[in-house]
Amino acid sequence: MTEPTTTPDATPGATVTADVPLVRARGLVKRFPITRGVVLQRAIGHVHALAGVDFDIYAGKTLGVVGESGCGKSTAARIVARLLEPTEGTIEFEGRDITTLSRRQMVPLRRTVQVVFQDPYASLNPRQSVGQIIAAPLRVHGVEGDRRKKVQELMAQVGLNPEHFNRYPHEFSGGQRQRIGIARALALEPKLIICDEPVSALDVSIQAQVLNLLGDLQRERGLAYMFISHDLGVVRHVSHRISVMYLGSIVENADRDALYDNPRHPYTVALISAAPTGERGARTRRLLLAGDVPSPAAPPPGCTFHPRCPKARLVSGDPAEVPERCRTERPVLTDVGEGHQVACWYPIEKGDAEKMMEIQASEITLEGDPELGVAQTEGLTDAQPRPDDLVDGGTGL
Amino acid sequence: MSSPREGHKLLEVRDLRVHFPTEDGVVKAVDGSSFALDRGETLGVVGESGSGKSITFLTVMGLINRSSARISGSVLFEGEEIIDASAARLRDIRGKRIGMIFQDPMTSLHPMHRVGDQIAEVVLTHTGASKKEAARLAVESLAEVGMPSPETRARQYPHEFSGGMRQRAMIAMALVLKPSLLIADEPTTALDVTIQAQILELIDELKEKFNIGVVLVSHSLATIADVSQDVMVMYAGRPAELGARDQVFQDAQHPYTWGLLESVPRPDVRVERLIPIDGQPPSLITLPPGCAFSPRCRHVRPECTAAVPELRDRGSGHLDACIIEPDEKTRLREERLAALEAGA
Ligand SMILES: Nc1ncnc2c1ncn2[C@@H]1O[C@H](COP(=O)(O)OP(=O)(O)OP(=O)(O)O)[C@@H](O)[C@H]1O
Ligand SMILES: Nc1ncnc2c1ncn2[C@@H]1O[C@H](COP(=O)(O)OP(=O)(O)OP(=O)(O)O)[C@@H](O)[C@H]1O
Ligand code: SF4
Ligand SMILES: [Mg+2]
Ligand SMILES: [Mg+2]
Repeated sequence: MTEPTTTPDATPGATVTADVPLVRARGLVKRFPITRGVVLQRAIGHVHALAGVDFDIYAGKTLGVVGESGCGKSTAARIVARLLEPTEGTIEFEGRDITTLSRRQMVPLRRTVQVVFQDPYASLNPRQSVGQIIAAPLRVHGVEGDRRKKVQELMAQVGLNPEHFNRYPHEFSGGQRQRIGIARALALEPKLIICDEPVSALDVSIQAQVLNLLGDLQRERGLAYMFISHDLGVVRHVSHRISVMYLGSIVENADRDALYDNPRHPYTVALISAAPTGERGARTRRLLLAGDVPSPAAPPPGCTFHPRCPKARLVSGDPAEVPERCRTERPVLTDVGEGHQVACWYPIEKGDAEKMMEIQASEITLEGDPELGVAQTEGLTDAQPRPDDLVDGGTGL
Repeated sequence: MSSPREGHKLLEVRDLRVHFPTEDGVVKAVDGSSFALDRGETLGVVGESGSGKSITFLTVMGLINRSSARISGSVLFEGEEIIDASAARLRDIRGKRIGMIFQDPMTSLHPMHRVGDQIAEVVLTHTGASKKEAARLAVESLAEVGMPSPETRARQYPHEFSGGMRQRAMIAMALVLKPSLLIADEPTTALDVTIQAQILELIDELKEKFNIGVVLVSHSLATIADVSQDVMVMYAGRPAELGARDQVFQDAQHPYTWGLLESVPRPDVRVERLIPIDGQPPSLITLPPGCAFSPRCRHVRPECTAAVPELRDRGSGHLDACIIEPDEKTRLREERLAALEAGA
């Protein structure tokens, strides 16, 4: 692990060791001002898109990021891609702090991090041919040589017919368009590709094509991915390590199997149990979360998950009560062994899922406690379905 | 079973065709679709993008502009033929007898009107209720879908609601007149995972409470498997396979369904590579001859392209449109699964 390896594209002479991550993000904070007024915009508050986030991305590995809509996944991704400045915090690339680099100093680094977006329709210019689209980054970065040949090589690499370089995006299917986006991202031979919901708009069969392509490229080129998705099955398929986000914070970090087999944060448990599994009767075994995700403009005090947290209610023994600590003190990410980290005062223990169910089943209230900010308390049902224990009637989906 | 008129299904569609003449040729968006649905049942509809799922149900609701499309076949709703019903009759049925919810609640709720007023409007349009009565029904309907403080919420505007609450409001609007059929076209695709689960749970609860029929269109096979009693797999404008949930998911008979099931990452089996369906979706203008799936099918044989295969009942209401005989299919499937097992 400590064998020094030189990385060809890093600053000359820089030597990094294998356990130095490609990207090290520390304490990332991003606040967006909420403004009012047309002419004179004044800030009337802030959206806390990121509230202090740490993560590492390693060469040749995939970091999966999951969490509810608006929890800050894309914001974190855009900061890593340097499309957005963090309000606070640092980003190191191969051990070098790049947070304060000037625009000019950033140029060579920008090549090494590329982004593939969700919508293959919106992210390609309809008036440019596929060849022009893929060649654009080569042009921008002044890469010399036979660009057309390079473009055709890239097209072949992502499984597009190289003879189609003169065609326009509308002549391609959704999966093919996403391949065009990937070819464009590969043009500058990046080390890291940020995939922000790259398959969410595609149907399952086309999704499988694109995921296979990403896997092949990782194996062939040692690419690293930061992979954002709502689909837990997809994230489990592609990731080596997974970060679970809730309202601007990472609440759990773990290796893939550890996260799915032994989730420790109550939100992760609910997220896994909410994912459709294709099991008969799975919906009766779901741990449904009460209420809606709070606004990141006014995050709850203490643990931001406390208004919806089933474990907090288990600890207090009363469905309408939450321990004082959860309401007042913000938990930080803490090691619970083997690189598994969780930000929770009362991490999930064996048997909790069943108990959370019992508490909730005995007390199904329709109105939540307005003081706790609970919009509505759904009946928590049954145990947490483990994704891998396909009971009778499972379809294996 | 409990249809209002004895012997009628809630919804029965026979040989539905919806063809759009365009400059490039006639787009056969729906091309010979037949299926039925009872009260108290959820019919899950899957199939790739462009396979005609939305057009099928927009046609059922009479929302396809007849001047842009050629529509034929039969749509029996509660025993009444509505395929050629007048626009006024269809408007009456929609909202009153058939409720609908779509993927993006923001596009169906008017941003400038209070949520309660929009729901009350449905009541006023379809019944002789007074304004006061309509407003009361709107609040009641919001309460029914689990909206906290429904009186307050009824006075708010859509932008004051979260995505999950907007979708609840849409369901409240769809159900305010207690229709017998609810059509939900990708109702949770735009929502968060935990909110998705809440909404699906709600639809299911309401289905049982009011004994309505539900059509649920989704890309997610797992979602469909979670909540449906019956499943229809569509390919190129017609059902490839139709049957009870377990029949379709555990004893799939159509090679296209096999392909779909194989494409999904499985949580229980780790594989290096997923198995997509080879090839591209067909052109709906020049459909391949015979079975539309034949150019992409592993098991294609000369007979496949001779004629369009009919939907055939394989016993106990499990239908598929593949010409291969069941025994051979069982063998092919076993061989395939064994090969996958060995490869994994
Ligand atoms: N430019 C901006 N100005 C103001 N607020 C913003 C801006 N960009 C993002 N936000 C807010 O920051 C929060 C985090 O947004 P972000 O896009 O990172 O979420 P996400 O996790 O990617 O969500 P999704 O799953 O819906 O893509 C949200 O509340 C969002 O509304
Ligand atoms: N007015 C129209 N004129 C021509 N073609 C049309 C028209 N409306 C729809 N189509 C075509 O009909 C086909 C079926 O469309 P439909 O919206 O039913 O697909 P879908 O199965 O719902 O797909 P998705 O999963 O993407 O929602 C598509 O190929 C579409 O392009
Ligand atoms: S800290 Fe408390 S409220 Fe937050 S997740 Fe843990 S138990 Fe729940
Ligand atoms: Mg995002
Ligand atoms: Mg559709």
